[in-house]
Order: sequence, then structure tokens, then C-alpha cells
Amino acid sequence: MILEKTQTHQRVIEQISVLNAKVDFMNDTALSNALTYLEEKGIPNNKNEEYKYCNIDSILKTDFKNIQQQFNTVSTINNLRLNDCLTLVVVNGNFSEKLSDKLVLKGVKLFSFNSLENSGKQLLTAAAKSNSDSFIALNTAFSGIGFHLKILKNEQTQIPIQILYINSASAESFVNPRNIIELEENSSATIIEHYINIGTHKVFTNFVSEKYLAQNSNLKSYTLQNETSLGYGVYTNQVKVNKHANYQNTTVTLSGRLVRNNHQVILSEDNCEASLFGLFKTSNNQLVDNHTLIDHQKPNCQSNELYKGIIGDKSTGVFNGKIFVRKDAQKTNAYQSSKNVLLSDEGCINTKPQLEIFADDVKCSHGTSTGKIDENALFYLNARGLGKESAKKLLLSAFANEVIDKIEVDSLKEIIESQII
Amino acid sequence: MSNEIIQEHINKDYEWGFITNVESETFAPGLNENVIGALSKKKNEPEWMLEFRLKAFRHWQTLSQPSHWANFPYPKVDFQATSYYSAPKKKPELKSLDDVDPEIRKTFEKLGISLEEQKRLSGVKSNIAVDAVFDSVSVKTTFRETLSEKGIIFCSFSEAIQEHPELIKKYMGMVVPYTDNFYAALNAAVFSDGSFCYIPKGVRCPMELSTYFRINTGGTGQFERTLIVADENSYVSYLEGCTAPQRDENQLHAAVVEIIAYKNAEVKYSTVQNWYPGDKNGKGGVYNFVTKRGLCIEDNSKISWTQVETGSAITWKYPSVILKGNNSVGEFYSVAVTNNYQEADTGTKMIHIGKNTRSTIISKGISAGFSNNSYRGLVQMRKGATNARNFSQCDSLLMGDKCGAHTFPYIEIKDKTAVVEHEATTSKIGEDQLFYCKQRGIDTEKAIALIVNGYCKEILNKLPMEFAVEAQKLLAVSLEGSVG
Repeated sequence: MILEKTQTHQRVIEQISVLNAKVDFMNDTALSNALTYLEEKGIPNNKNEEYKYCNIDSILKTDFKNIQQQFNTVSTINNLRLNDCLTLVVVNGNFSEKLSDKLVLKGVKLFSFNSLENSGKQLLTAAAKSNSDSFIALNTAFSGIGFHLKILKNEQTQIPIQILYINSASAESFVNPRNIIELEENSSATIIEHYINIGTHKVFTNFVSEKYLAQNSNLKSYTLQNETSLGYGVYTNQVKVNKHANYQNTTVTLSGRLVRNNHQVILSEDNCEASLFGLFKTSNNQLVDNHTLIDHQKPNCQSNELYKGIIGDKSTGVFNGKIFVRKDAQKTNAYQSSKNVLLSDEGCINTKPQLEIFADDVKCSHGTSTGKIDENALFYLNARGLGKESAKKLLLSAFANEVIDKIEVDSLKEIIESQII
Repeated sequence: MSNEIIQEHINKDYEWGFITNVESETFAPGLNENVIGALSKKKNEPEWMLEFRLKAFRHWQTLSQPSHWANFPYPKVDFQATSYYSAPKKKPELKSLDDVDPEIRKTFEKLGISLEEQKRLSGVKSNIAVDAVFDSVSVKTTFRETLSEKGIIFCSFSEAIQEHPELIKKYMGMVVPYTDNFYAALNAAVFSDGSFCYIPKGVRCPMELSTYFRINTGGTGQFERTLIVADENSYVSYLEGCTAPQRDENQLHAAVVEIIAYKNAEVKYSTVQNWYPGDKNGKGGVYNFVTKRGLCIEDNSKISWTQVETGSAITWKYPSVILKGNNSVGEFYSVAVTNNYQEADTGTKMIHIGKNTRSTIISKGISAGFSNNSYRGLVQMRKGATNARNFSQCDSLLMGDKCGAHTFPYIEIKDKTAVVEHEATTSKIGEDQLFYCKQRGIDTEKAIALIVNGYCKEILNKLPMEFAVEAQKLLAVSLEGSVG
């Protein structure tokens, strides 16, 4: 077992590193930590508690036998642009200045990893420690050229920023996109991270984003995953929230053979707030695994989670939500809910809502429910003249709308509404 | 204010910490095939039993001691430093009660367990058949004659091996095979005694059956096995209680309980666990690593676990039900109280295989002092478990800011018609609740008792009356009036 584990990660490293340039924007300690960690831990299989329902090791073993890192060039993105946003483009893991809009917004700065400021260099790997997780380590070692997006002090950006991650490969490939999103004091922004695949071959996306919210800042972020059946990915978000700041994320997964979201939010000072919402609809042999961790470190913070899944065919949905309440985090208010509908006989849903509480004056609760479509509701609609299919659709969209309604960007909402059911 | 009563609870000494002076025959510490051979010989066991033990032992040697899932470090148990057999020297195989060593009798009297038939238990008049296990052996089983009139077999495990080998051969290891886990393998290799119970077809057991476990000798571990078989259309309610003397060392208790329920049978298993929990600084105490599992093998059967866990330094215990028969029902009701440096990690597994199977899980954790209290459970809906239904609720109550409460529920669903609901809350006794009570003239102490009682009532209601009385005492907060 151990031998096989070593083999996978060594092969993957070997095959990725062939064509990758040396990552020279990463600091040396982080780099060497990353490689040591990988060497020790390898790529997790289902013996690892965190990856119990998501055996990435075996998926890499069978579906990515020969990673060749061959990509198509992408010359236009017009039909992928959201019309009410400014768009930044990342092609096959690297930031493309050519395809991106000029960021004409006041108070917004953008640095490519090749021209990072000192402050940016310090933020890189500060939240996503290279020795905390195999995929973060792998990304650190082979990071694509990402960017550092910074919203300056006291700036309220009105126009949402769309970050488009386009993968287009002409042979099995493995990409490591990475970014830093920083909100300075009293600033606010809306960000949409949109993943798509337009190539002809399988691509594994190992994404890492570090998000820093300074005092009183407010970040609304949306994630739309639509990488088709050629898309595989581990998407890691490491978020650090400071005093009185507010972080909100809505993640919608429309397609992707393997989607693993690692969303970690650290409420590092008092009176901050985080909300995580998610919606996924799976079909065929998809595996969608949402892992969230909200770490309440200081008093008077709030968190709220709602994840909904619609599982069809032979697909598997996983929700694992962890809430930590540390000793100091009195007056914490944490709420978590996961609801799932199982549509097929061969689908499978695994949930594990986990609370770990070390403070006494807290209000924490979680709830999860799984079931089929309510027969009575179906009958009610049938009796009123709705066909079976459309009645089912109506009920499912009502189920999904609870999450979709959290989306405040119209163009994004339209895409999701048109594709989810 | 609220702290006082918590403090009182925390400071309360362990009542059952006395040691009985009885001459014992104890094996030297250590574990190897010879020890197992000697143990088997001591108990005059047939060849097949020894083979079973050795097979389990050889398997056990290939396993490593688990430690990874706990939230806390615990010192590795040295299995060579434990003695695997200890028995009161006076042979307890005599018919009359007068033959039981008076010291042992006194011990059980002191614990409120009457070895005299038709007497009282915990101050409540009742009919309960007791199998009293003292260290490694069963000293007395009461009411055997009354029970055997109905065809019920209730005796110690060793006797069952001698007298009903066909039943033991058939059922032992059926639900918990020796390959199940580290401690189940250890138990299978070295178990010393325990209780066996068989309820024949169509019989409703007229009284509560009970096993009372007492660890007395220092440096010993207790490894007992309980096997309950309920044949078609039968019913039995089974109680289990346990205490141990106060010692500075950690003692190991690794039991296995197996329950098998046939068509339309119902088994209700209640535990009040009060092993010595260690002192205020976390020194000493019993490690309680127990494997309990029930199998609803045929249609319409029902197994219900109720537990009140107050003792032990570390508890790992997951009474589970495999719902194989159609329409079978599994239930798990638990109150776990921890204080000082106790660690309780308990929960259940409900494996739904049959159609229309139902399970209910209600778990209440109360943590005080520096303790940690975890609920860890699995609800699994296998494919084909059509219309299976589960409801789980796990609540935690925190008293003081140095303790922890955790929940780790695993929910795996592979059938689209299955409906699963899970909810959990964590809270402390609300200032507003206290205020409400005080406003109505109820003082703080009584108000807390009231709230805690209300919090646990759902579970205490499930206990047989005799146990509810003991459980109340154990909760160490004077609860109101009658429960149960």
C-alpha cells in the first residue's frame, strides 16, 4: 500500500515537472517544505480520514496514467465573459494578461506572480501552508503563474470581477492555478471564480487560493464549476477573516468528473462573520466532495453554512462540514445545514457534519437530511395537470433556489438557473 | 452560582471505590499462548474453545493498538502488565447463596445488588435475576430455577460453554467476529466469563435479567462476553451495571456484547456504566473499550440500546444494530456525563439492510471539568434498504469553559427511498432559563437540577425503573421526583 502511494505521487511529480519552469516567485522554505511533505505523505487515499469518500490516489492512478502537459492556445473568450463584470483570465493554470480586461476600476491593483510586491510575497503561502495538505504542497511546488488581486483601503468596488479559469488540453494534463485575493481595511468586492474546460483531454486542476480580509472588509465570492466530464480537480480556498469583516461564498457545481472543494475559513479576530453556501447537481459517475472547515478562534463570531445536493445516476455526493470552536471563542454562533435529494438507485450520498467545541457559551447546531422527492408534493402537482417530469423539475428547482437566491450577480444567476435543472 | 453545583458534582467522590478483601487467585501479568492455555484449562474448557481463543490471539498479534481517532492522547496500554485471570479463591460453584463468600456478598450488598432472590435492588422492590461477575468469574446467578421453568437459559458464560456448547458454538462470534477490531480480538482470546441468555420461541421473559460487573483485584483487566439470543416472538429486557475500586493505575475493561433477535423478537439492553473514572487530576480510572452489537436477523425484530455513561477514564463504546430483517427496528438512547479529565467517545452504528427498517438515535452529552465528550456515529443505508428511515439527534451540554463537546456523525446513503435526518445542538444552561426558574421561586440549585433532568428525561424514561433510580443518583444532581 505504502509503496503504491509513493509511486503515484512520484510519478505525478515527475510527469508534471518535465515541462514546468522553476517556480521562482515562491520562497525557498515553502518550496522545500512542500517537497518534503509530499515525499512523506504522498497523495491521500481513502485510508486518510479526510479523503475517506474521495480516493484521489486511485483516481490519479487510473485516469491520469500519462500526464503529458500539452495544451492548446486559447485566443478568444468572448462567449464565456459575463457581461456585467470585468474579466481576468487564467489559461491552463497561468494568468493571461492578453486575454484579461484592463482593470480600470479605481482602487483595485493587480500583480502577476512574476512582479509581486513584497507584501504579496509575504502573503503567498501565509494562509495556505505548504506543509498542511498534499495538494497545497503540490501546488506550491509547481504553481502556475497566478496573480495577487488587491482591493485598496476604503475602496468599495461596484463592478464584480470575474476570474475565468479555462483549461484546454490536447493530452492528459495537470495544472496548478493559484491566486491571492486581498481586501484591505474597509474595502469591499465581489468576485466570481468560474472554471471551464474547452479542450479535448482530461485536465486535473489543483487550485489554491488564499483570501485575506482585513478589518471591516466585505468579500462576496462565487464559485462556478463547470469543467465537463474531462475536468478533475481539487479546489482549495484558504480564507483568513479579520475583525468585523464578512466573507461570503456560494459554490455551484454543474459538472466535473471529480470535484473536491476544500474550503477553510479562519475567523481569526472577534466579531467577524462567514457564510458558505453550496449547490451541486451530479450525474453519470461524477464525484463531488465538499469539505468545509470553519475555525472559530475568537469570540462573538458567526458562521452559517447551507449545502444542497441533487444526486443522480451513479454519482456520489459528499458533504463534510467541520466547525471548530476554540477555547477563546465564547459567544460563537454557528449554524450548519446540509440537505440532499437522491434521484437514482445507484447514487450515493455521504455526509459528515462535524462539530468540535471547546468553549461553553456558544450556540452551535447542525442539521442534515436526505430523502427522495416528496411523493405527496408530486401527486399534488400531477393532480393539477402538471406532467411527471415538469412537476419533478419544479420541485427540484424550488429545492435549488434556496441557494441560487443567494447569488446577487444577475448574469451568473441566469447561467446557473438555465443549467441546473 | 451554577458553578457551585457543578463543582459539587465534580468534587463528588466516587462512592464505589472500596476494595473487598477476599483471597483471590490471580494469574501473573503477561499474555502469551501459554497464559491462554492455562486460562482455558482453569475453566475446564473443551478443545474447540481453546482453538477459538488461540485463533483470536494469533489474529490479535497482527493488529496494532488503535489510537488515531481519539481527540486526546492516551498512554498505550501495556498488555503484558495486565493479569488476565483473577477469581475469588473460594469456589463459587455452589448451589446455595450461603456458600458465596460473605465478603463478596457484602460487596454486592454494599453496591445495592441483592444476591438473595426476591430482595431489593437500589431501594426499589423488584424481581430481577442477577448474574454477578466478580473480577473474572461469575459468582452467582439468581432466579435460575424460576427462569428455567419457562425454558429460559440464563447463566454464566463458562457454564454455558459446558452445558450448552451447541448454542455457544452457533452464536459466539456471529455478530462480533474476533476479526472485528483490536479489542474484540483481545476479548475473544482472553475472555474470562460473562453471561449467556437464551429466550426460547414465544416466551416473554417475566423479569428483568441483569449482569453486574465488579473489578476488584488490582492490576487485572476484565474481559467478559455477553451473548443474548432471542428466538421468534420472544422478549427480554436486560440490564448491565458496573463499578470498580479506586486505584491509581488504569485498569482495562474490554467486553464484547452480542445480541441476536429472530422474527418478531425484541431485546432491550440497558447499561448504567459507572467504572471508576479516575481522580480529580485524571489519575487512574478504567479504560472502557467495549464492542457491543446487535443483529436483527429476521423480520420485525427490534433491538434497543439504552445507556447511561458516567464512569471510566476513557470510554470507547459504540453499541450498534445491524438491521437485516425487513421492518426491523434499532434504537439507541444515550446519556454520557464526563467530568474532571474523563474522555467519552461513544455513539452508535445503524446499518440498514432490510426493507422498511427504522432506527432512532438520541444522544445527550454533558461535559464538565476538563473532560471531552464526543458522539461518533454511523448511519448507513445500504442499497435495497427500501423506505428505510433514520432519525438522529445529538445534543451536548457544556458546563464550564474548559471542557469540550464534539460530534462526528457519518451518514452514508445508497438508497434513494431512504430518509435520513440528523440534527445536533450544543449549548450551555441558558441564563434566561435560570432566570425564568428563579423568578418563580426555584433556587439555582434546583433550577439546574430541573434543567438537567429535563435535558436527559427522554433517555431516563427509556430505562427500566430500577436503573432509572441508579442513573438519577449517578447524574449526581438531585433530580426531581420520579423518573421512569
